[in-house]
Amino acid sequence: MSNKPIYDREHHVKKATGIGDPQCFAGEASPARFNVGDRVRVRDLPDLFYTRTQTYLRGTECTVSAVVYESPAAEDEAWDNTDQVEWFYSLVFRQSDLWPDYPQAFGGDTLETELPERWLESA
Amino acid sequence: MSDDHKHAPMVDEVSEFEILEIAVRELAIEKGLFTQEDHNTWTEYMHTLGPLPAARLVAKAWLDPEFKKLAVEDGVKASLEVGIDWVRTMPTRFGTPSDYCSFRVMEDTPTLKHVVVCTLCSCYPRPILGQSPEWYRTPNYRRRLVRWPRQVLSEFGLQLSEEVEVRVVDSNQKSRFVVLPVRPEGTEGWTEDQLTEIITRDCLIGVAVPKPGKTANDPRPVRKALKPYSH
Repeated sequence: MSNKPIYDREHHVKKATGIGDPQCFAGEASPARFNVGDRVRVRDLPDLFYTRTQTYLRGTECTVSAVVYESPAAEDEAWDNTDQVEWFYSLVFRQSDLWPDYPQAFGGDTLETELPERWLESA
Repeated sequence: MSDDHKHAPMVDEVSEFEILEIAVRELAIEKGLFTQEDHNTWTEYMHTLGPLPAARLVAKAWLDPEFKKLAVEDGVKASLEVGIDWVRTMPTRFGTPSDYCSFRVMEDTPTLKHVVVCTLCSCYPRPILGQSPEWYRTPNYRRRLVRWPRQVLSEFGLQLSEEVEVRVVDSNQKSRFVVLPVRPEGTEGWTEDQLTEIITRDCLIGVAVPKPGKTANDPRPVRKALKPYSH
């Protein structure tokens, strides 16, 4: 008898069928650390192997516009690791914060995108 | 003519990702997860999807403030009203092919204009909008829209004043986005069907705004050939 643990390759499909992804992770994350309106900064973490946090956002301050859903982060999910479920946030950046030479005439322009909690720190 | 003259290749190059897709597909068929016939059926199904449900969703939202509220708060639920079930559609039943079930409707105002891109790949709300246009998937659109949004919109023929805030939506995680544009003037008293006609795919991506009289099935401009060839 082998002591090797049996890995269920269908764990995700069993969990998500008929419920949806990310809906199937609802209720699994720790309470959200940030609220709508909070100022946060995108951390510049190492991104070996896989990430979905764009380089152009790193280190930039932004405002939380919505707390959207709970899910494992892409960095884990790429390896089928769903142990750490966390909150995802919709964030609004000022274009002039992202691009130093963005035309001043259009200073009100913004960019919105989503990131998991691990990539954010209070600003 | 020199001997080292190189001819253009006779066939398009096949990318590594296409080879990977074929390899994984063939292994899945060999393992019995699905048959080639299943694959053909679903490929064909995916190509029947189009932007009409999303256009109808926007038209309904224009006519019914309660529905607009629902669409902005819970896009997945609102999609059911136009016949799109993000969750229980085959083949996966936990999200239509390659997409997740987080659908967000971004509401424009007279001073706020959304436009959608996926800088990391080509995420697109396919269940409700069909296959993405070729330009949406090009590196050119993806890298330039976040950096020079107004220039890119100008190239699409959309010039916006300084008073309008352009908000680029980078669809990088599990949410998929469509734009809910402002209802244009000159559409007072229109029916849902009439409104649906002017909400084209480009309006839903955000690179155009709806205009009365401008529909997706307008007659195309046909110019007579200067030197017509007669048989």
